[in-house]
Amino acid sequence: MSAAFDRLDPRSDGVALTSSGEARDFFELLKPRVMSLVIVTALAGMATAPGSVHPVIALASLLAIAVGAGASGCLNMWYDADIDALMSRTAKRPIPSGRILPSEALAFGLTLSIGSVLVLGLVANLLAAGMLAFTIFFYAVVYSMWLKRWTPQNIVIGGAAGAFPPMIGEAVVTGDFGMHSLVLFAIIFLWTPPHFWALALVKSADYARAGIPMLPNVAGPAATRRQIVAYSLVMAPVAVLPALMGFGGWLYLVVSVVTGLMMIGLALRVLVRTEGEPAKKAAYALFGFSILYLFLLFAVLLVENGLGLKWPLPVYYTLGGSMPLAEGALELFRALPKVLG
Amino acid sequence: MSGNPQRPTPPAFSPEDMARRRRRSIALALVLGALVVFFFVVTLVKTGPAIMNRPL
Repeated sequence: MSAAFDRLDPRSDGVALTSSGEARDFFELLKPRVMSLVIVTALAGMATAPGSVHPVIALASLLAIAVGAGASGCLNMWYDADIDALMSRTAKRPIPSGRILPSEALAFGLTLSIGSVLVLGLVANLLAAGMLAFTIFFYAVVYSMWLKRWTPQNIVIGGAAGAFPPMIGEAVVTGDFGMHSLVLFAIIFLWTPPHFWALALVKSADYARAGIPMLPNVAGPAATRRQIVAYSLVMAPVAVLPALMGFGGWLYLVVSVVTGLMMIGLALRVLVRTEGEPAKKAAYALFGFSILYLFLLFAVLLVENGLGLKWPLPVYYTLGGSMPLAEGALELFRALPKVLG
Repeated sequence: MSGNPQRPTPPAFSPEDMARRRRRSIALALVLGALVVFFFVVTLVKTGPAIMNRPL
């Protein structure tokens, strides 16, 4: 660790200063690829929300949401530095490779977390800020510190953290959240297990070395493959809902159906190819396509709603508003603060 | 001024480390400058046309 002396680390014997990490190392702590997905999904949440907001406020809010998501990634890297060092995929991250000190990452993550929540509260509203704070807490504490090393359902429950941005986006615009963003939440939530388990199938030795109870290590590859197919079969129809509910148009319907079928096809290929190189290739193909899939769904929603290019489906007029149970549950959730307080 | 005998002297940074730290400082200054512009623009937008409604 060159010139890395940690003032908060007792082993450094009080001579601590700071590391010589560069700006790009700090940027890497924010998990930029995850941040880009958060930007697209939060923007889609704003675009599909019933209402409008000043473009500067939207941009400022988006920046705060992206930085908040990055901050939670930074706190995750700080907490997981010990296991990151043991896995080939993560050993080159800034902390395990010695470019950034753990204490620097912690300070950076906490500062950005608090700053992003405060800015979102000032720029947008308290509900959006509260949801961003909860998202950071959920990812950094509930997922990273608790679920990840404890249960094979870690990424199922933890997936909620990645699914919140569209809801925050809608809260920025309306000061509330409704069915649109709940459906977008469900899409990301159901997408997370097939996405991560495809990677976990290939990297199970890494996870075993680090002692993380991923599903392939605990329940075995066969059970994981069945779960991947099951989640894909539920996720693909849910991903079509925006078109049926009127906030996705014809283009969204076509894209969601075609890419959904491709996701199911790739998941089935993972199920049947269980040995050697073909199995590895099938898992990588599903992992890679799943990223494209989510990007495409939300990018199309963004283009249709944000740029006013939506060609609405006639079917919306027959299916719209036909969800009394979900609406009722939402009303109950909204009324909870009044009931409790 | 003599240093604390209990506290070892920190090792000197190499020229390469110093260059990296300088680049980091410049990046930080740019981010802070951008933040100033960010808050200025957001304040203008939040205040709206009423920004001129004050005694001069």
